[in-house]
Amino acid sequence: MLTISNITKTFNPGTPNEVRALRDVSLRLEAGSFLIIIGTNGSGKSTLLNAVAGSFLPDFGTLTLAGQNITFWTEHRRAKLIGRVFQNPFSGTAPTMSIAENLAMAAMRGQPRGLGWALNHKLKAELRDRIRSLNMGLENRIDNAIGSLSGGQRQALTLLMASWLKPDLLLLDEHTAALDPKSADQVIRLTHDIIQRDKLTTLMVTHSMQQAVHLGDRIVMMHRGEVLHDLQGAERARVRPEDLLKRFEDVRRREQLDPTVAEMLQKNYI
Amino acid sequence: MTLLIGATTIGLILALLAMGVYLSFRIFNFPDITADGSITLGAAVTAILLVHHVSPGLATLAGFAAGALAGMTTGILHTKFKINGLLSGILVMTALYSVNLHVMSKSNVPLLNEATLVSQAETLGMTWFQVAAGSDLNVLGWSVGLRDAATLLAMLLLVGFLGLLLYLFFRTNLGTAMRATGDNPQMIRALGVSVDFIIILGLALSNGLIALSGSLLAQYQGFADVQMGIGMVVWGLASVIIGEALVGSSRIGLLITGAVIGSVLFRLLVAIALRWGLNPNDLKLITAGFVFVALVAPSLLRKLKPAAKPESSKA
Ligand SMILES: Nc1ncnc2c1ncn2[C@@H]1O[C@H](COP(=O)(O)OP(=O)(O)OP(=O)(O)O)[C@@H](O)[C@H]1O
Ligand SMILES: [Mg+2]
Repeated sequence: MLTISNITKTFNPGTPNEVRALRDVSLRLEAGSFLIIIGTNGSGKSTLLNAVAGSFLPDFGTLTLAGQNITFWTEHRRAKLIGRVFQNPFSGTAPTMSIAENLAMAAMRGQPRGLGWALNHKLKAELRDRIRSLNMGLENRIDNAIGSLSGGQRQALTLLMASWLKPDLLLLDEHTAALDPKSADQVIRLTHDIIQRDKLTTLMVTHSMQQAVHLGDRIVMMHRGEVLHDLQGAERARVRPEDLLKRFEDVRRREQLDPTVAEMLQKNYI
Repeated sequence: MTLLIGATTIGLILALLAMGVYLSFRIFNFPDITADGSITLGAAVTAILLVHHVSPGLATLAGFAAGALAGMTTGILHTKFKINGLLSGILVMTALYSVNLHVMSKSNVPLLNEATLVSQAETLGMTWFQVAAGSDLNVLGWSVGLRDAATLLAMLLLVGFLGLLLYLFFRTNLGTAMRATGDNPQMIRALGVSVDFIIILGLALSNGLIALSGSLLAQYQGFADVQMGIGMVVWGLASVIIGEALVGSSRIGLLITGAVIGSVLFRLLVAIALRWGLNPNDLKLITAGFVFVALVAPSLLRKLKPAAKPESSKA
């Protein structure tokens, strides 16, 4: 279970570039639930995931995961509990190292690393089996450098790596955004299968309303660093892609209103 | 012949420097120039211990440890105090100049009659080849000094062993994490590895190897000198580049082998050039020039290729 309590983060405070990326965000995620986060560009979705992963310390608020207060844990310490797939297919794998070596490193996620061999026959056989289940024909190429693979193949492997040791929390940040439609479909199907099979607690960011509606059991819409809508239960079950698009439209209309109002106020009072 | 054997031996000793430079520059992509200081540190620590009659094996190990400490310092400056990598190395290298003078308490420590690894290798050679000290051996028709032959053989074994050890290390869990740290720090952090720790450890290992190279060099040439480290990073880099060109592969075992061969080859080339009348004062200039060319040539060639195309289409 993940609890995000009153998380606040301001980048470049006190400068002209000040961005209030997260404003008092609170969310409670039950174990095994699959939350989809949507929202306009710059609404703070990635920042929220980064805060949970530990890329930076929040200015305020606490985080608990699997019963532990992880607010002040370093990023690499949190990795013991968290599996992660990034938007950029290059971010999740070490390109000059082989497929087998990459997966072997993931099989050690969060564990102390000593002088044992990274690869052995038993592990290699297991790797091959799990890679075969991707149905990408990669099981015969496990000694090839992972950098020689396509973005879709790399993302599928990153997903496999992030979930190799069942994580207490899986973080997916637009992990299909950089892929062509066919690869994206493939990776989404894999995402669905893995999360279902292992009943993983998941936070997934996406810009695809289709994905938002067809995956997951709860939808949160963020805006300007805040949670604007939180669709759960019956409301979530009823929602269609058009409804979500309408909510985006509402946000945009309000946005458009804001500058004109500001202009009017400025004219009248300054 | 003695010249060639001497050059090969020094090339082998400096292959440890090349391995260290390969580790920092290539595996980590970290331009660590601590090396100039740590190679002298290794020589200084070993030399002063030998003068005080510490056993050669122990004195050599101490040289390695001192270098590892220097590398750790650079790593800590970079990771914990967020100082630019190049600057961290410069700071430690500069500080080491004073440290080295303090260790030796003068600018040069001769090793005349002290027992060293080299003298021990010679003694071993005497029993092995059943000959008296200072005599010559007949190797395939060549007359070779016992000391030269024994040292060459010992260095060959030692460097081969350490190269193999390094290769095996890169196949362990810790070693693969180290390679991944250079390849993609974001990824290995997300898999639970402290990138800071790995950088500190890696620079310790790198500078330990480099100091070991200095320690052996001092024992071979019979003195440690506070100036002996100047320009050594560039020297190591030149060896690594030659090695990469020779093996033309990204396989780690081949690259380590390449660094060793590159180091020996480079030393041989230099020895021959010096024999032909190259002014020793120009050596560093030429080495730097060589590395410069090796660094810019690939991208220059790429730039020239598209430029050549429209011309050929015109014709
Ligand atoms: N490290 C940073 N330094 C400064 N500003 C940042 C940093 N990270 C994010 N921001 C700012 O915080 C705001 C929220 O960014 P974030 O990346 O979380 O948006 P997002 O919802 O993920 O958007 P997108 O859909 O485009 O990915 C943006 O205005 C962004 O410019
Ligand atoms: Mg984002």
